[in-house]
Amino acid sequence: MRKTVAIIGAGLLTATATACGGGTQAAGGDKTLTLAESVTATPWDLAKASMGPEAQYYQPVFDTLIRLDSKGEPTPNLATSWSYDKAQTTLTLKLRTGVKFTDGTALDADAVRQSLLHTKSGTGSAAGEIQDITGVDVVDAHTVAIKLSHPTASLLSALGQVSGMIAGPKSLENPKVPVGSGPYQLDTSATTAGQTYTYTRNPDYWNAKAFPYDKIVVKYLADPTARTNALLSGQLDGATLNLNRVATVKGRGLNVVTYQPGDIEGLYIWDRAGKKVPALGKLKVRQALNHAFDRQAIVKSAKTGLGTPTTQLFAPGEDGNDAGLDDTYSYDPAKARKLLAEAGYPDGFSVTIPDLSAMFPQEQAALTQSLKDIGIKVKLDNLPGDQVFSSMLSGKYAMSYFKLGAPTVWDKVQLQLTKKSTWNPFKYDDPKADDLIERIGKATGAKRSALFKQLNTYVVEQAWNAPWNVIANAYATAKDVKVTPQPGTQYPPIYNYAPAAK
Amino acid sequence: MLVFLFRRIAAGAVLVVVVATATFLLLNLTGTDVARNVLGETASRSAVTAKSHELGLDQPLVERYWHWVEQAAQGNLGSSWFTGDSVNQSLMDTLPVTLSVVLTGLLIAAVLSVALGAAAALRGGWVDRAVQFAAVLGTAVPSFLIALVLVVTLAVQLGWLPATGYVALGTSATDWFRSIILPAVSLAVAATAATAMQVRGAMIDVLRADFVRTLRSRGLSTRSVVFKHALRNAAPPALTVIALQFIGLISGAVVVEKVFGLPGIGTLANSAAVRGDAPVLLGTVVVTVGIVVAVNLLLDIAYGWLNPKVRVS
Repeated sequence: MRKTVAIIGAGLLTATATACGGGTQAAGGDKTLTLAESVTATPWDLAKASMGPEAQYYQPVFDTLIRLDSKGEPTPNLATSWSYDKAQTTLTLKLRTGVKFTDGTALDADAVRQSLLHTKSGTGSAAGEIQDITGVDVVDAHTVAIKLSHPTASLLSALGQVSGMIAGPKSLENPKVPVGSGPYQLDTSATTAGQTYTYTRNPDYWNAKAFPYDKIVVKYLADPTARTNALLSGQLDGATLNLNRVATVKGRGLNVVTYQPGDIEGLYIWDRAGKKVPALGKLKVRQALNHAFDRQAIVKSAKTGLGTPTTQLFAPGEDGNDAGLDDTYSYDPAKARKLLAEAGYPDGFSVTIPDLSAMFPQEQAALTQSLKDIGIKVKLDNLPGDQVFSSMLSGKYAMSYFKLGAPTVWDKVQLQLTKKSTWNPFKYDDPKADDLIERIGKATGAKRSALFKQLNTYVVEQAWNAPWNVIANAYATAKDVKVTPQPGTQYPPIYNYAPAAK
Repeated sequence: MLVFLFRRIAAGAVLVVVVATATFLLLNLTGTDVARNVLGETASRSAVTAKSHELGLDQPLVERYWHWVEQAAQGNLGSSWFTGDSVNQSLMDTLPVTLSVVLTGLLIAAVLSVALGAAAALRGGWVDRAVQFAAVLGTAVPSFLIALVLVVTLAVQLGWLPATGYVALGTSATDWFRSIILPAVSLAVAATAATAMQVRGAMIDVLRADFVRTLRSRGLSTRSVVFKHALRNAAPPALTVIALQFIGLISGAVVVEKVFGLPGIGTLANSAAVRGDAPVLLGTVVVTVGIVVAVNLLLDIAYGWLNPKVRVS
């Protein structure tokens, strides 16, 4: 017995001594970049890939045709130059020569054709971004022509993200190991599926100097508290941060950047025609809803002051944003009640909304209270987290708290403003908006921007939704790592990380 | 004994089938649009319909259930709807993490509870009162709170141990120990508290028994009486409690794994439940129930071995 205790005691001492001597390993000290992801990976078939945060799993191994710079503008990458035809329905790309996939296969026009068409054939959101592609022609060994069903302004942006990643032609269908031409390759010996993915340098990469780290480790850490603790204890070099932890993490000397990927948060009115809740079919009622929210107070309390109050669909910096529109609906509960009375609802009306308190407690509380304050009788419907999206999309709720974003303004429009849009569950159709959207699809340059602005103004005036604010994200990095956030993306791409002076 | 064993194994197998069937039905009757959840909120309706077909969700429920049973009977628990990873492989990856934490926690609980329980019974007085107070406290404070306190002080503030993550035993024994010691201690506190009180009670009973008085009257030292005779006789009830604690620790691991970012079976089950990833959730349920059945079986065998009267019941 005494011997056993002695052995256990010795073990404890050794472990603690090791711990005290070595400390937690400095995650960025050995030119390794260790990042945390809040979602699991869906490796490695690009046809099943998503555009969201999980892009960081793909970025080390798959290079994109186009590189989006820190302002979101397209710059050369695998494609060295590109041009549209006059009709804007054919995009011709010149490809970089001498590039090889990690299995030795040459990256040529045919490989690009196969990869793009394979991604397009899938069911992931990366596939959804390039559905307008009708074909990819091999012009010569290093030139491809992408054919579109109609002008698609978001194509270049999509080709700079997961949709434009190119996988090796021999590994397109359900690959066990990713075969790309990116700056890194997967180190299977240091990878545990679903948990930790380790990437080491691809020795043949053409642009190694753009990637300062020798090794990249991406860990799945779902819990925000665990992510913050890992950051603070030096186990991570970068992770997203809950807004309420920003001050703590900054106080510990870590770098925190806040940025606005363009997501708009607020009350989304799905039943604009009043099919389920007739009151919502009236413009004055929807305008009353817009006057019900104290946007400044919501940003201050629920978003710890981070975020920009707004009443419009497009975020600052996006095409079509008009700062003047943000004054359209001031916080004025008395005016809201007056508008409700004018619309024939002096005592308000009843509406059932989903109770999203489990995910968004402060936002849900702000929504419910603000609606009650102008006399609307709110019935909260409790539902499990995994049924939130499907219930909303099935048209169960006439309105709800929500937030939506997309990589480009055009994507935002397609996502929610057309009759066919996924996030138009009641299939609301407005001929004037349809006409504007059709014209935007064909327009370019300043004309296009002006049309986006017209559409934005129309949607705000018609009070399609009652937005509160442009969401701010916070991303923290270790003291010796700096990162540049990128417009339209929730997580910065891996090429935006670099060592910083401590 | 063989008939007894056979009965217990058959009962365990029936339990696994019943729980698996109930879980399958619960997961499939919630009305969740799994294909939508797999593809995300921005996917088009046609993509969602295609995904539904790909996953076989457009098949009748009975057919889907039978297909799962056929595969499971051959040892294939299917693949994740979300990641495509094999459920068997996911379980093989995550089970060692949970077992490392739970078994280490159990070992800590066993050693500490015997030491504390015996000390309380032998010394009495303030030692007894202190152990009893600590036991009440240990039972009352939830393991996740202990976990949070440990991670903030020992990992974040002092930097002595890692705040998150798991290192496999095969990679480095020291790093493995460092990665699991805080979660194991978090889990061990409540188990220690419960078991120490059992040891204390059993020891007090044994120390009052006639045979102990006889041993003392024959001039045996206290150490010999305690370690060679009293502790051995007080062990069976304590062992029963420890075995039952093992099952409790597995469920406690779900929360503790979250705090420490450990990729264990609890994390796997948690993320599968949140997303509605039925194959993964079913796999974790079957394996967890299997472990519980196995532990109970071992306990039954131990009882049967100790007390032949139990075998006929």
